[in-house]
Amino acid sequence: MSLKVLLVEDNEMNRDMLTRRLNRAGYEVEAAGDGEQALQKMRETAPDIVLLDMNLPVKDGWTACQEARQDPATADLRIIALTAHAMGEDRDRALEAGCDDFATKPIDFPELLEKINALAEKGRSA
Amino acid sequence: MASQAEIAPFTDHVLRALSELRAQSNPVAESIPDEPREDLERLISAGAALEALLVDGGQDKDPGTRRHDIMNVLGAMRGYAEFLIEDLETTFPAVASALERVVKSVAAASNSGNKPKASTTDTANVATADLTGTILAVDDNADNRELLTRYLERSGHQVLVASSGLEALARLADRPVDVVLLDLIMPGMDGNEVLKRLKENQQLRSIPVIVISGRQDMDGIIECIEAGADDYLFKPFNPVLLQARIKAGLERKRWHDTEEKYRRQLERNEKFIRATFGRYVSDEIVENLLEEPEGLKLGGDLRQVTMLMSDIREFSTICERLPPDQVMRMLNNYLGVMTEIIIGHQGTIDEFIGDAILAIFGAPVQRTDDADRAVQCALDMQQAMRDINRGNRKEGLPEISMGIGVNTGDVITGNIGSEKRSKYGVVGHHVNLTARIESHTSGGDILISSSTLDLLKSPVELGSQQQATVKGIKEPVTMHHILARTAATSGA
Repeated sequence: MSLKVLLVEDNEMNRDMLTRRLNRAGYEVEAAGDGEQALQKMRETAPDIVLLDMNLPVKDGWTACQEARQDPATADLRIIALTAHAMGEDRDRALEAGCDDFATKPIDFPELLEKINALAEKGRSA
Repeated sequence: MASQAEIAPFTDHVLRALSELRAQSNPVAESIPDEPREDLERLISAGAALEALLVDGGQDKDPGTRRHDIMNVLGAMRGYAEFLIEDLETTFPAVASALERVVKSVAAASNSGNKPKASTTDTANVATADLTGTILAVDDNADNRELLTRYLERSGHQVLVASSGLEALARLADRPVDVVLLDLIMPGMDGNEVLKRLKENQQLRSIPVIVISGRQDMDGIIECIEAGADDYLFKPFNPVLLQARIKAGLERKRWHDTEEKYRRQLERNEKFIRATFGRYVSDEIVENLLEEPEGLKLGGDLRQVTMLMSDIREFSTICERLPPDQVMRMLNNYLGVMTEIIIGHQGTIDEFIGDAILAIFGAPVQRTDDADRAVQCALDMQQAMRDINRGNRKEGLPEISMGIGVNTGDVITGNIGSEKRSKYGVVGHHVNLTARIESHTSGGDILISSSTLDLLKSPVELGSQQQATVKGIKEPVTMHHILARTAATSGA
């Protein structure tokens, strides 16, 4: 059974690209374009992994993550933050907000797959 | 927090790699299957989005958002490129290797944000579309010139190129340039020498110079800055930084040009004022006008002035008896002496009419002691007649005598005449009245009107007064003979 990934990304080009790459890599992909939609899809689809962009319209990634952690239905989801900043505050903020891991844009795809798989393993064994 | 320098982690490599990709893929595009071909188009449009962001996008946004936008585009480019490599590496190896270079360039670009910067100039407000100028790009490398030209023209600049130091100097001599982008290492005359010569040149030294060099050692950078470089960028240049620096350079140049224009305007005004008044008024009045030009109304202005008119008695009779060259010598000597005296009292010579002089006190610059100065001037003029006649006697010329009339009243002052020929002067009834008063004088007399007398602050020794009916005035005009200044302050 393939892993189910919820990709939360407001940039259309990136959403399209990542969705298709993940599909090709054998993942099932659900996509959302803003933080509010993301929370809704987290509850509805129970993804194995959430790829959550931090700069999102309506509700940003940090807020969405914090809220997800407070809702029992989504509190245990594996969330990987996607940010534009390699260092410093963004990373710390993402982890503080409750993200499990962190990937910097532009995404290194093989590295991202490793992170997804590693987290999914953890999720399964947990 | 992201520093502003981190917003711009780009080199020209990405765009160059993309254009190479286009060159590789265009000829074979039709044979590429639909899906990868569409991805290729997406990748290339992502490149266009990147260029747009670099050139004119996002300057309203905060640095974090801007970086996010740029990283999104870079991410998409990298993703599509990697995706495409998988699709095309066996069927279109040349395109795939061009894609590899795109991937590498994106990786390099996104990692380059932490390189040291030569200057702390911030990169906010990266490019403003309205601030464009003529930019001279000096580089011995044709690719670099081409690349710079492309970037700059896209931003609306006019671009001149030079492939050597000498060519750069020739371009600079040829036409106005707003900013110079200068490579350092060139055969023949190098960039340092160009910089030195540019900064030595009075006309060119204000042009901002941005050095773009592969030299990254601090000594080299400091050397350039000490030689007068305004900025220093490393090669391969970062387009966003370059835009920011060019903008700063243009702003600097524009500011300088505005100042220069203002300075030249002032100089022109000064020349005009000197040309208009210099022959008729004292240097002091010219300086006053230059310092307070608002006191100068050339358009026509009704104001109170004191007028002085002098005339040599029986001059036409003298003229008839003397050869013309002697007449001219005598007249010019006389007028020369009188001019000195009038200007010495800050009077303005309105005109010479033959041997007659009309001088004004109170225009173009009004003073509180206009009447006093006019009267004192008249006394000094009469006093000077002794010397003039002594000279005349020595030269065998006839002695002359002069009458002076002084009057104060409202007249219109301004530039009188046509566009081709005009002069600063006064018109009005009081000018005529002054002439009438003067016509009642005998040789050696000074006659002043009551209006002038009323304004005098320093006491004068008055002689007899007389009345005369003047055409156009019902009341007879009272005129007073001035004999001397009574105070010891006379003879200024």
